[in-house]
Amino acid sequence: MAGLDLGQVRALFAQEAAVRLARLGKQLLLLEQASGDQELVDSVFRELHTLKGSSAVAGFEDVSRIAHELEDLVDGMRGSATAATAEAIDRLLTGVDELNAAIEAGVGPLVPSPDAVADTMPGQRTEEPVPPDAAPAPRTESNGNGVVMVPMERLDELVRLVGESASAHLRVGRMLQERFRIDPASCAEYTKLSRSLNDLQDRTMRTRMVPVSTMTDQMHRAARDVARARNKDIRWEVRGADTELDRGVLHRLTEALLHLVRNAVDHGIESAAEREAKGKPRQGLIRLHAMQLGSEVIIAVSDDGAGIDTERVREQATRQGVDVEHMSAEDLCGLIFRSRLSTAAFVTDISGRGVGLDAVRTAVEAASGRVEVRSERGAGTEFRIIVPITLAVLRCLLVEAGGQRFAIPFHRVITSRRYDAEAVTRAEGCPVVWVDRRPVRVSRLADTLAMAQEDPSDGPVVVLGDTADSHAFQVDRLVGRRDVVLKGLGPPAPHLPVVAGAGVEPDGSILVVLDPPGLIRRARRAAATDAPPAPAGRHSARRHQVMVVDDALTVRELQRSILERAGYEVRVAGDGAQALSSLRQQPCDLVLTDVEMPNMDGFALTEAIRSTPALANVPVLMLTSRAGDSDRQRGLDAGADGYILKSGFDEGSLLTAVNRLLGGTP
Amino acid sequence: MQAVLLPVRQELYALPVRWVREVLTAPQITPLPTAPPEFLGLFNLRGEIVPLFDTAALLGIGTTDDVAFTVVLLGPQGPAGLSATAFPHRAVLDEPTGRSEHHSTAGMFRIGDRVAVLIEPPALLAPDRRLSAGSA
Repeated sequence: MAGLDLGQVRALFAQEAAVRLARLGKQLLLLEQASGDQELVDSVFRELHTLKGSSAVAGFEDVSRIAHELEDLVDGMRGSATAATAEAIDRLLTGVDELNAAIEAGVGPLVPSPDAVADTMPGQRTEEPVPPDAAPAPRTESNGNGVVMVPMERLDELVRLVGESASAHLRVGRMLQERFRIDPASCAEYTKLSRSLNDLQDRTMRTRMVPVSTMTDQMHRAARDVARARNKDIRWEVRGADTELDRGVLHRLTEALLHLVRNAVDHGIESAAEREAKGKPRQGLIRLHAMQLGSEVIIAVSDDGAGIDTERVREQATRQGVDVEHMSAEDLCGLIFRSRLSTAAFVTDISGRGVGLDAVRTAVEAASGRVEVRSERGAGTEFRIIVPITLAVLRCLLVEAGGQRFAIPFHRVITSRRYDAEAVTRAEGCPVVWVDRRPVRVSRLADTLAMAQEDPSDGPVVVLGDTADSHAFQVDRLVGRRDVVLKGLGPPAPHLPVVAGAGVEPDGSILVVLDPPGLIRRARRAAATDAPPAPAGRHSARRHQVMVVDDALTVRELQRSILERAGYEVRVAGDGAQALSSLRQQPCDLVLTDVEMPNMDGFALTEAIRSTPALANVPVLMLTSRAGDSDRQRGLDAGADGYILKSGFDEGSLLTAVNRLLGGTP
Repeated sequence: MQAVLLPVRQELYALPVRWVREVLTAPQITPLPTAPPEFLGLFNLRGEIVPLFDTAALLGIGTTDDVAFTVVLLGPQGPAGLSATAFPHRAVLDEPTGRSEHHSTAGMFRIGDRVAVLIEPPALLAPDRRLSAGSA
């Protein structure tokens, strides 16, 4: 290290120490579960010994002293299969915390590289994290194994540039079509560039991904510490630790997950004696299970403890003035995310103050996610956090309101359905619609956004919500779905609670992405004085009419019989052209169409419906045997509201989809 | 001092040239719902989303109906557009000829027979000093 001054040596030591301390914590937790493992004891000893030497070189005498004391303690465990007691592990873990604090006091916060910490157990040891002859580079480092640490902002910039390249590419395609009358899809160079850009976007997104395993040790430690403090015996289990998600998303969730884990041990798991009395194993199970589902990641924290006492929730909610009379057990469980509601039997210094789960919900929502809870009395509780894999690209529902197009993040959309003026009722001075048998307040989106809208609209309603609240917004029309490369609007743009950000459209225009929680709050504030959505005046008390479009007589008649039995009025057409002609003469309430048909297929029919003003808001449901993702996407892009596969078709699924789009009963 | 002269309604304002990134003809503006009146919306500058402000509203001299040109500033918090009602010219400012009143200006300068008021962009665009707050 000749040529390095003390500051540089300490910077190097900080990097090394961050990795070693993270590794030590992991090894100690494993040692507690496998106390006779001498290889682990040796490994812990080596870590402490190396840390002692390095800290002395870096001039951290107090660090060296603590490491020496811990080294002595571990030395005493050698040769004994029973020496790694819980008390000894307590002392060693506390020692690791002391080392961490002493080093941070000298060099600032330690941030270990996730890659450097992972998979470094005995027998899998990797090279030293810091090349000994390298000068420290504080922001971009290589650990000598071909791994480079890159600041997040550089990756963000890369993602932004790739997104802009993709937008520019689409603009070029448009220009080819409009100016030179060349179909971009038939141009080999253009399609090759499309593929390359897609690959580039995919790979760039992946650079931001980290596995869930990067924070499971922290969770394990939290569970273990609470269990020790409460004298409980627990088993920690992790599944799907290699599930990856955006580092920024995971970072935002860490505190929420820690809270859920502590809560599970503190309030979920019963004492060993209680468990034995109930016929359960003495050792309680805390499980963290991560899995990817489409573009979302689900992280579940579950326990096999006592479950949520819904009667107690009911009592507390009633005391706070919540109307719980018609609430199911599931609804009651959902109430625990409200502020000031805690079901803990007593307030402890670990959790149970009644603010924690509210904070969990807030943290999850800040990561554009949602949290759900399932609980069975006596069997246990599972909290599920569902977040998008990345925040850089947001799947959105496109709507039009007040003459402007807006994007609404899809994870907040509960459902969308046609607006039925007859079905709107009022409660507490506000218009209300029924959604899944629950009353939901409804506002016009244009009103909530303070946009001038002269004519009353009969456009559909979009129900937005989360675990705490839901609200329906009437829009002029639904436009489709879109993956939006979201750009936040920081200063100097004003902070607006109803706006989450914006994206650039292929044609260069700007798409404003709305923030549903902000919208709901604003609508709630205005609700008391809002005018009710004006009745459109063309709806009467009549049966809903469905147009069935299919060239196969058998399928067409099967659908007709199912729908007529359910009380719908049915019209039929043999292809898209026939259906469109009939609809132009007399619109219906919903179109159920096949995809592959002669004359005009289902995609073309849907596009034609969407571009005909009198029909633009008619819901379209596609029923097809085409299972490919691109077909599904094409249908949704064309403006379809739903897509049912013939392979999964039955009476129940058809009626559920139709009822949902038509807002309830025939 | 090298400056860009910004016509705003019947008045003339000057921006120090070091703050000016470029001048554009009227961009396509996307309004932001619930925004305060001094904020006109967003525009796309070669893939970059840039906020556009109504210079007249920021200065408290009314509002701009038609944005003829936009001066893009490179501020400490990123780019921002200021609206102009006619083509902005470049000029050299001599000694100030008088004091100005507005908190985000720094004196008056003679340009021929007209007066140009020198703008201090960081003060003009500081969120807590903008005139109105009509947002949610």
